[in-house]
Amino acid sequence: MKCEEARDRMPLFLYGELSFEEEERLETHIDECAGCREALGREKMLFQAFDAAQAVPSQGLLDNCRAELRGRIAQVEPERSGFWDKLREGFSIHFHFAPGWMQLVGALAMLVLGFAAARMTPGSMLGPWRTAGVAGEPVTSRVRYVEPVASGRVQIVVDETRQRVLSGYLEDQTIQRLLLKAAKDPSDAGLRVESVDLLKNRPQSAEVRTALLYALQHDPNAGVRLKALDGLKEFASDPETRQTLTQVLLKDDNPGVRTQVIDLLIQHRSEAMVGVLQELMNKEDNDYIRMRCQKALNEMNASVETY
Amino acid sequence: MAQAAVKMDEPELIRAAQKGDQRAFEQLVRLYDQNVLRLAFNLLRSPEDANDIYQEAFLRVYKNLHTFRFDCSFHTWLYRIVTNLCLDALRKRRVRREENTVVETGEGVLDRMDTVEEGRAHGDPQRQLLSSQLRERIQKVLGELTPRERMVFEMRHYQGLRLRTIGELLGTSEEAAKNCLFRATQKMRAALGDFV
Repeated sequence: MKCEEARDRMPLFLYGELSFEEEERLETHIDECAGCREALGREKMLFQAFDAAQAVPSQGLLDNCRAELRGRIAQVEPERSGFWDKLREGFSIHFHFAPGWMQLVGALAMLVLGFAAARMTPGSMLGPWRTAGVAGEPVTSRVRYVEPVASGRVQIVVDETRQRVLSGYLEDQTIQRLLLKAAKDPSDAGLRVESVDLLKNRPQSAEVRTALLYALQHDPNAGVRLKALDGLKEFASDPETRQTLTQVLLKDDNPGVRTQVIDLLIQHRSEAMVGVLQELMNKEDNDYIRMRCQKALNEMNASVETY
Repeated sequence: MAQAAVKMDEPELIRAAQKGDQRAFEQLVRLYDQNVLRLAFNLLRSPEDANDIYQEAFLRVYKNLHTFRFDCSFHTWLYRIVTNLCLDALRKRRVRREENTVVETGEGVLDRMDTVEEGRAHGDPQRQLLSSQLRERIQKVLGELTPRERMVFEMRHYQGLRLRTIGELLGTSEEAAKNCLFRATQKMRAALGDFV
């Protein structure tokens, strides 16, 4: 292999996209050629420069995208796989490999069936051709109970979930109640993030503040805890909030959350914090948090260790 | 709605979403949306444009999910939509020539290329100068790649997709994707080689 060919293949080599034989030839050449070894080193540096130039979207942008998508989807009705799709699908399976004349017969049969089906099919089965006004129709349903009743009839109890779009201000009781409920939905961290993000703008409400404190302490998702913390900032001097913050500082396993908590706590220093900070110095691994903790203790003329 | 609360695998989520289960659709979106946004944001470097791609891609998925027949993976189906949208946006941008390194993020205005400087030349003025010139060159040469070269480079370098997959997504062969990547890396090396 010549040097020029070797250098041309270096990017594909670094991406692991060369064949086994090509890779063998290139590695053999690099072993024997100091100039190409150096060139490979430069190629790797170039790759690192590209890596460092990657733009990563913020969590905030992702949250906004998700919220906007949810709003837009609420206004759109998806096309559903309806009777006609299923019929068409069925015919495509049966006649796909059939000779031309059979396909023609199939098409004619489909046409006849189409007219017949249009007369016989109830409106609810027509999928895309359904009438508007979806909001009142059940989105999901589940058969809860079946029972034979007199004269050969059957009685079925069906649970139906309906979807409604509500809009209003955060001050509205209904909106707030639903947000508080969504903020605790264990099945959907994204929903909790967005709900807490909205609720944090109303921390003056005792109910909202309780929900934020609960989320900060108990939510398994760090993103939700950070949003809750954001909403509690203006209450950093409130005793109940400080007590929760202290517990979170000592127990939360996410260094990002602990970093925000310590920054918030040491804005309002008190003698009661000394013990907590000393305990933290004994167990904290994160350098930044240790540094903030040590600085706060020094400024309060307290020892950084307990004896 | 109750059925989506139970942990479902991807085909189950797709089938539930096809039947109109909104929560299943949302869970499906969340399997992929971070990567979709990362791809669009890194290619277009604008939060607004990345959001537009995100919305358009997932709305198309939502509206057309009933046509998905499991002939290919959902990932392939989704990425075909996303890459087409991104290519269109890149082509429009190429006409407008509005590349800009400064982007707005949740944390404020940010020059995306600052990360290069921080990572490579911390504390050394001479290296900082070199790094600053390097980031300008990276910026320029990325903008000079054709939309297709840019897309292939993006998908291979940043998304880590194999060339075979990239070819499948872009409706071309693995060999054509390889040639495209080769041209992109050649151009970048020619423009940046003297910096490293």
